[in-house]
Amino acid sequence: MRAMYLANYFVAGCIASSFLGWVASLHPMAARAITFLAAAAFILWGLCWLLDFSISNWLKISVNNLQALLLAGLASIAIGAGVFLCS
Amino acid sequence: MQLKLWILSGTAIALWLAPLTALDKKVGWHKSIQGLSLGAAIACAVSAGNIARKLADEAEIETIKTRAITADVVDEIAVSAYVSQQQRQQEAEAILNPVEHLERALALPDAEVERSELITQKQLAEPEAERSENDEERRAERALELKAKGWGKAKIILEVWGVSKGGSQKYKAAEAEYRRLTREP
Repeated sequence: MRAMYLANYFVAGCIASSFLGWVASLHPMAARAITFLAAAAFILWGLCWLLDFSISNWLKISVNNLQALLLAGLASIAIGAGVFLCS
Repeated sequence: MQLKLWILSGTAIALWLAPLTALDKKVGWHKSIQGLSLGAAIACAVSAGNIARKLADEAEIETIKTRAITADVVDEIAVSAYVSQQQRQQEAEAILNPVEHLERALALPDAEVERSELITQKQLAEPEAERSENDEERRAERALELKAKGWGKAKIILEVWGVSKGGSQKYKAAEAEYRRLTREP
């Protein structure tokens, strides 16, 4: 059941990134905002990946869990964006 | 709850993929439908995730409960096994220690113990006296028999009492007994 709830949140992340892609396709300004958001998220992701020990201490989770969370987030964004762009 | 979870998960995936692949992005109302279905899909996925998390927590609590009950049962069995082993050991010790068992069973007072000891000594002394009397009779018979054959006193004493002639205490005692038995002066 634990795997099921993790999978559902993962799917929710994928759908959310597809939704952001859909929002970006509505207007050039929206696309620019989403691009800015994606860039900020990517920088944040990179910082979290580099400062994993500090962030894990701050969030009070293990480094392994933090890395798994980051990779799952990246994968969900990539899958969601990929599905939207390829459809 | 499980059925609801599976339906919500399936619906989320269907609402995510179906409009994106089936509808045209260039048509206005198709695009609106896509947006709506994506929003609904997010809601379905999040709801399914929450339900799954709730069920996972409940399952974990059930597992902890089951583990606690199992530990209790194991503890109870271990305690009862230990107690019964102690009882068996005590019974075995009581059986294997008959002196203590007897003492406890009899629990005689001191006077009775002394009396029983006296009786036991008397019983032990009686056969000894009988035996010495029999020996004396046998020696008397043998001495008279040898005397009738014409044996001398010293030789008879040596044969019957096993003591050679001399001034020893044993010889004197044997000589005295010989005289008493043969009624010699």
